[in-house]
Amino acid sequence: MYDAVHARPDGDSTVARLAVTAAEYGFDGIVVRNHGDALPDYDPERISDASGVDVVDGVEVRASDPTRAAGFVGNHRDRATIVAVHGGDVATNRFAVEQAAVDVLAHPMAGDGDFNHVMAKAAAENGVRVEFSLRAVLRSEGGRRVRALGDLRKLRELVTEYDVPYVVSADATSHHHLRAPRELRALGEVIGFSAEQITAGLQEWGRLAERNRDLQSDEFVEPGVWRGSRREE
Amino acid sequence: MKHLPKHLQPRWRYLAVEFETWPDADFDRGDFQRQCWFAAQNLLGDVGSADLDLSVFRFDHDDGWGQSVIRVRRGETDRARAVLACIDEVNGDEIGLRVQGVSGTVRACEEKYIRRRPIASDQRNVVFENAERSGVVYDRGASDAPRGGRRVDVRCDDAFAGTTELDLE
Repeated sequence: MYDAVHARPDGDSTVARLAVTAAEYGFDGIVVRNHGDALPDYDPERISDASGVDVVDGVEVRASDPTRAAGFVGNHRDRATIVAVHGGDVATNRFAVEQAAVDVLAHPMAGDGDFNHVMAKAAAENGVRVEFSLRAVLRSEGGRRVRALGDLRKLRELVTEYDVPYVVSADATSHHHLRAPRELRALGEVIGFSAEQITAGLQEWGRLAERNRDLQSDEFVEPGVWRGSRREE
Repeated sequence: MKHLPKHLQPRWRYLAVEFETWPDADFDRGDFQRQCWFAAQNLLGDVGSADLDLSVFRFDHDDGWGQSVIRVRRGETDRARAVLACIDEVNGDEIGLRVQGVSGTVRACEEKYIRRRPIASDQRNVVFENAERSGVVYDRGASDAPRGGRRVDVRCDDAFAGTTELDLE
């Protein structure tokens, strides 16, 4: 199971510290998804060797309008293993679900964001994972939390109805924000998810990373065509 | 008052909880207990909170690390986990916690999970992001020293940064 995190300078902790904590909590890996304008300087392999968890380099593209976002997605696609789009307004959400080059639409319901059946169908068609961010449930209270829970419910209903691929994360910006998979499952059950959904959402990050690494490897030529002696699947 | 016959006495489970804070965090058992109740009430409401009946049995916190044993009614351990996951700060101090395990008695819980302060912390000057700063280095001993190097909380201006020795070269 993987969780997706924001490291310094987006957050308070370095990638190494997040990795050590994730290892202690029983994760198999972390996806570093800093915003495109606040990328960390780190060596994934070295940290991975030292901490024992997989460190996936990702990016969360944040732009003021879809046209710019499209440019950023293009820039990062070749370098980063996982490209997410910082959701949270209708135009950006709409853009992200229509781009097959986008892996994850992050927190679509944050801020003024909203999601509907049209976007759900587009996301399912283009294989864009929609993120259930547990951030507000874990780290806010009162009216904000109530609204976030309502939003999660709406999103969950759409995702289930249209069979949209999804990921789950605690959206940590500090090693203190990480929570063990078992705790996230328990929380998920209280707020209306099934434990299996939470597990599947956490595993999806890992599957996504593996798929994209395969696609970016030198042996990949085009879908179904691999160079050299490739494993039989 | 005469105590209840044995078969009517409530059954309990004990959760061992380990937590990390920034080194300057300062809260005591009472604060932690209050936060547990708040978290339960916020997540589950009065009814759920009463069902769990969370109570902090053992508590030890100092220098950015702590452990606690929390009692909960049997059959409610999953909901208790969910409540504890939602505790993100105590008295305004950020906290990261995890449930290490569950036992049927306080004694079993302590024997199995509670360790005598496995962590020594040491304040020293470190170089982080090209500047010399003051940092607190945690030494968890050889037994479970994370392979990522020792953890270091570095003071940057008015906040802390969570790092490890890998970041300090």
